[in-house]
Amino acid sequence: MGWGDAEGMLWTRGLLWERVWNAVGNFLFKFLVIGSAGTGKSCLLHQFIENKFKQDSNHTIGVEFGSRVVNVGGKTVKLQIWDTAGQERFRRETYNSLAAWLTDARTLASPNIVVILCGNKKDLDLEREVTFLEASRFAQENELMFLETSALTGENVEEAFLKCARTILNKIDSGELDPERMGSGIQYGDASLRQLRQPRSAQAVAPQPCGC
Amino acid sequence: MVVQAKKRELKEAQRRKKQLEERCRLEESIGNAVLTWNNEILPNWETMWCSRKVRDLWWQGIPPSVRGKVWSLAIGNELNITHELFDICLARAKERWRCFSTGGSEVENEDAGFSAADREASLELIKLDISRTFPNLCIFQQGGPYHDMLHSILGAYTCYRPDVGYVQGMSFIAAVLILNLDTADAFIAFSNLLNKPCQMAFFRVDHGLMLTYFAAFEVFFEENLPKLFAHFKKNNLTPDIYLIDWIFTLYSKSLPLDLACRVWDVFCRDGEEFLFRTALGLLKLFEDILTKMDFIHIAQFLTRLPEDLPAEELFASIATVQMQSRNKKWAQVLTALQKDSREMEKGSPSLRH
Repeated sequence: MGWGDAEGMLWTRGLLWERVWNAVGNFLFKFLVIGSAGTGKSCLLHQFIENKFKQDSNHTIGVEFGSRVVNVGGKTVKLQIWDTAGQERFRRETYNSLAAWLTDARTLASPNIVVILCGNKKDLDLEREVTFLEASRFAQENELMFLETSALTGENVEEAFLKCARTILNKIDSGELDPERMGSGIQYGDASLRQLRQPRSAQAVAPQPCGC
Repeated sequence: MVVQAKKRELKEAQRRKKQLEERCRLEESIGNAVLTWNNEILPNWETMWCSRKVRDLWWQGIPPSVRGKVWSLAIGNELNITHELFDICLARAKERWRCFSTGGSEVENEDAGFSAADREASLELIKLDISRTFPNLCIFQQGGPYHDMLHSILGAYTCYRPDVGYVQGMSFIAAVLILNLDTADAFIAFSNLLNKPCQMAFFRVDHGLMLTYFAAFEVFFEENLPKLFAHFKKNNLTPDIYLIDWIFTLYSKSLPLDLACRVWDVFCRDGEEFLFRTALGLLKLFEDILTKMDFIHIAQFLTRLPEDLPAEELFASIATVQMQSRNKKWAQVLTALQKDSREMEKGSPSLRH
C-alpha cells in the first residue's frame, strides 16, 4: 500500500475484536495497532493511555502493550492494546507470535472484525500527501471506519479508540457478534507448539490481518 | 520543632557522607580494576581470560575505559574483517545514499534480487530509526556527535550483508558499540556479533529457529521457576512477548544503559546462553510481583521494566539461575530441540499445508 510510505501524512491501521472479560457484563476488547514504521503507532497508544504526546520515543521492537478501562454507553470496557513494530519483515514475526488469536479471529470472526483506519499526523497539514477525500474513499471501498488523528495534539485519538469500542458494543447488542462464541475461539495456549508444526508456507498468511 | 529540624539535618548529612564514602570506595575499586585489566589481563589475554580470577572480576563489570577493548577481544573477528573492508563497504554505502538522494537510478547488478526500491526503503528506515535510537541521550540524532558513526555502521553493514540488510533493533546494538569503540572497530564487533547463530536466527527472522530458542528457554524457565512458569502458561503469556525485544536489542533498550553494558560484558564472554540466563534472572527477581499479575500487567511490566532496576540485585539473581536441565546444558537442549523440529517437519507431511 503506497499510502503507508507517504511522508508527512501517514496511516496507521487499527484492528480489533473482543471477547468476554467477565460474566458480570464487562468486556475486554483487544486492539492491534499496525502500520508502517514511523507512522506514530506508539505515540497514538501513548496519547490514548497517558493523555500526552510521547517526545523522544524509541522505535518498538516486538510488541508493546497498553490497557485502559473506558465507559462506553454505560458499559465498562477494558481495552487491551497490542502495539506492534513497523518494519515489514519484523512485523511478520509479530504477527506470527499473535497468530493464534489472529487466525482464530480471522477464521471465526473475520466479517465482524472492526477496523479503523487512522490517518495520523493530522497536525502536519502542510506536508499532507493524501487528501481527506482520497483516504475516505479508500476506507469506504474497504469497509473501514476512518478518522484523521494527531498523536501530537491528541485530536481524535480518544475518539478513534472509543469509536471502535462503540461499534463493537453495538454489534454485540444487535446480535451480530456473539462474545461467548468468539471468546471460546481465542486460545493462545499452545501457539508455539502449533506453529512449530506448521510448514513455513503457512506463515505467510499472517501479515495482512485486515485484508486491506 | 527546631530540635527535630536539626535532627533531620544531621541525619541527612550522615546519609550524604555515607553516600560519598560509598562513591569513593566504588571509584577506588574501579580504579584498581582498570589497573588489573590494563597491566595484567590485557597483555596476557590468551592465557588469562578464562582464569577464575578474571572471570570473577569480569562478572563485577568491566570498567568503561577498557570495556570496548575487552568486548572486541571476547567477540573476536571470525569474519576477518579489516579496516579496509569497512572503508570499502562504507564508500559503497555513501555512493548509494548519494545516488538515491539525487534520484539517480544507476544500480549495480551484483546484488540482484534486492530491488532498488527495497534498498531505498531500508536506507529510509535507517534514517528514521537513528533518530529514534536512545533519543534521550541526544548524541545519535541529526546534528549529534555520533549520528554519522551510527549511520556509517548501519549503512556499511547493509552493503556488507545485503542478504540480511537493516533490521530494526540493529541500531541499538550499533549505538552501544559506538559508545565503547571507534567506528571501524565497532563495525567489526557489530558484524561478528550479528554473525553469531542466535543473532543470525533473529535478525534473519528465521521463525522456526526462533521458536526453537523460545522452546529451549522454556525448558530452563520451567526448571528454574516452576511456579511462575505455570502462572505464565495459565495466562497464555508466551516468551516471545518479552524475549523478542530483549534478544533483538541485547537488553540495551529495556535495561538502564549501564546495566545493559554489564549484561553485554558477560554475554560477550559466555555467548547467547547468557541472554536467556539474564531473562530468567529478571523473571526470578520479579517473581513475587509477576505471580500476582494477569496477562496484560505481566506483558506491560516485562516490555517496560522499572527504570531504577538495581544492578547488584539483578546480577545476584542471574547468578542463582541454573543453566542445566536434567544434566543437559543450554547448547545440548537447543540442539536436541532443533533436531526434533527438523524431524517433525520432515516426518509429518500431513501437516504441510
